[in-house]
Amino acid sequence: MSPTPTGPVAVFRESLAPRGQIDVPYLLDFYPLQSEEHTRIHPFFKHLREGRFTTTRCKACGELLWQPRAVCSKCLSEDLEWVELPTEGTVYAFTAMVRGPPLGMEADIPFVIALVDLDTQWRPLRLLTRIDGVQAGEMRIGDKVRLKIINLADGRVFYRFTGQAGNAGQGTKR
Amino acid sequence: MRQVAIVGGGHTKFGVRKATWKELVQEAGKATFASVRNLTPRMVDSLFVGAAEPERFAFQSHVAPLAAEQLGITPTRVLQRHELACASGQSAIRAAWMSIAMGLSDVAMVVGVEKMNIPNLPELQSSMACVLDREWDGVHGASAPPFFALCAQRHMHEYGTTREHLTEVRLKAGRFAATNPNAHFAKTFTKEQVEKSVEISPPLRLLDCSGITDGAAGLILTSAERAREFTDTPMYIHGTGQASQGHNLSNMESLTTWTPLKWAAKEAYRSAGIRSRDIDFAEVHDCFTISEIIVTEDLGFCEKGKGGAHIASGQTDIGGRPVVNTRGGLLGMGHPLGATGVSQAVEILWQFQKKVPPKRQVEGDLALAHNLSGSANAHSILIYGRRPK
Repeated sequence: MSPTPTGPVAVFRESLAPRGQIDVPYLLDFYPLQSEEHTRIHPFFKHLREGRFTTTRCKACGELLWQPRAVCSKCLSEDLEWVELPTEGTVYAFTAMVRGPPLGMEADIPFVIALVDLDTQWRPLRLLTRIDGVQAGEMRIGDKVRLKIINLADGRVFYRFTGQAGNAGQGTKR
Repeated sequence: MRQVAIVGGGHTKFGVRKATWKELVQEAGKATFASVRNLTPRMVDSLFVGAAEPERFAFQSHVAPLAAEQLGITPTRVLQRHELACASGQSAIRAAWMSIAMGLSDVAMVVGVEKMNIPNLPELQSSMACVLDREWDGVHGASAPPFFALCAQRHMHEYGTTREHLTEVRLKAGRFAATNPNAHFAKTFTKEQVEKSVEISPPLRLLDCSGITDGAAGLILTSAERAREFTDTPMYIHGTGQASQGHNLSNMESLTTWTPLKWAAKEAYRSAGIRSRDIDFAEVHDCFTISEIIVTEDLGFCEKGKGGAHIASGQTDIGGRPVVNTRGGLLGMGHPLGATGVSQAVEILWQFQKKVPPKRQVEGDLALAHNLSGSANAHSILIYGRRPK
């Protein structure tokens, strides 16, 4: 499908500078927007900054909600309260991101990802988290892990959990 | 409600394609129109496009009219794009079925398409990770492989499923895919190749995972009354089911029994008026080796917890029943998200029409197609028959 040569016809040309590297913008870096102008659950992040791990619980029906919410998914009430969650949990299942990380996480691999059980006073709560401080090969189902707060350079915060090799689990290795 | 028939299907080569999203749509359209008689693009009144992430992978939105333009279709009844991640293709088929069944559409086309191979792999992986709850699960680096790895670890822990069981799923996919020139990975593998492939998310290795694949497939649907205008060998939609529970991983009841799959299967069997043992062959969503094991169990093809042993014993291979994933599965075909459900339907149609190579030809009148999406929190099922219901 090559065009037929048309001879020395003058055409306009301009060279453009190569496009620079684009920094990963908000909403492609995975961390949620956290301030009061962006989200109704901004207290979660304020509490996290203070060292408290919290979520919403419905005052109308008593349901413990994860993730923190604006409206109860069980009874649709907006009368929610902030409650403290345990900062120690038990590993229910674990794996690692060895290959294929998303943008911004390339330098971190391999890292451990786990489902962790928190024994709250209302109901068992299982949540997904990254686990620092331990390799997947050193872990077992049932290991104990503790909350760790991550401070992002732009002022945002998030949580992970942290573990250590061979701490108490009796379950399956990787 | 009118009974609905599928009268033709077309398929592109799946793989790392030197072709754009639009070109894949064009190829699938040409192949689909070639599979039927008496039909030109302008006679199609409705278009349903299954496309999971064109905004991310092809930086293109408003894709239903764009696809219609590529196909030469000028829809006058219904025009829709369907996004249900890995089940986008089946979602589009179900919508076309509804529209014809209620009399809104007469001749509908379904196209499933995904262009996934882009120059920057981490950018692709980010797009895959935001299929999960981006702010609470994806943020921890979780995407599909880690999620299904967690399921695999728990299934091994609870039921004694082994590395060898996972390997057997991949070996079977390879045997079938080797008969399929449209497959991304049209070849067999050895046990050693599977078990020594690079680690992705333990216990899952590269060959436990379906590929990052470009491809498209298409179907023509019409009412049962009109089916024979377009083909002598239509297939019919007998039943369907779909269900979802939770999205954030915290709100999933179990990693090893997929509750919404059991709900969807119950409704699909009920609406078709059949039981699981009536299914002759099936196309199920083996995005990872562990998925086929759990799906085989939760569809009722074997006892709970015995999926690995069931597959390893050859009962889902040629000669068993139901035979599962004759197309080569997602593992062998690759998994262009929006195309997969449509590709499965094309395989079932071609099985009924005796158009597949003899090595993978199966006999039977009833087939099931299953797709899961996201972290297995949504499941979609269609039941197809060689004869009218």
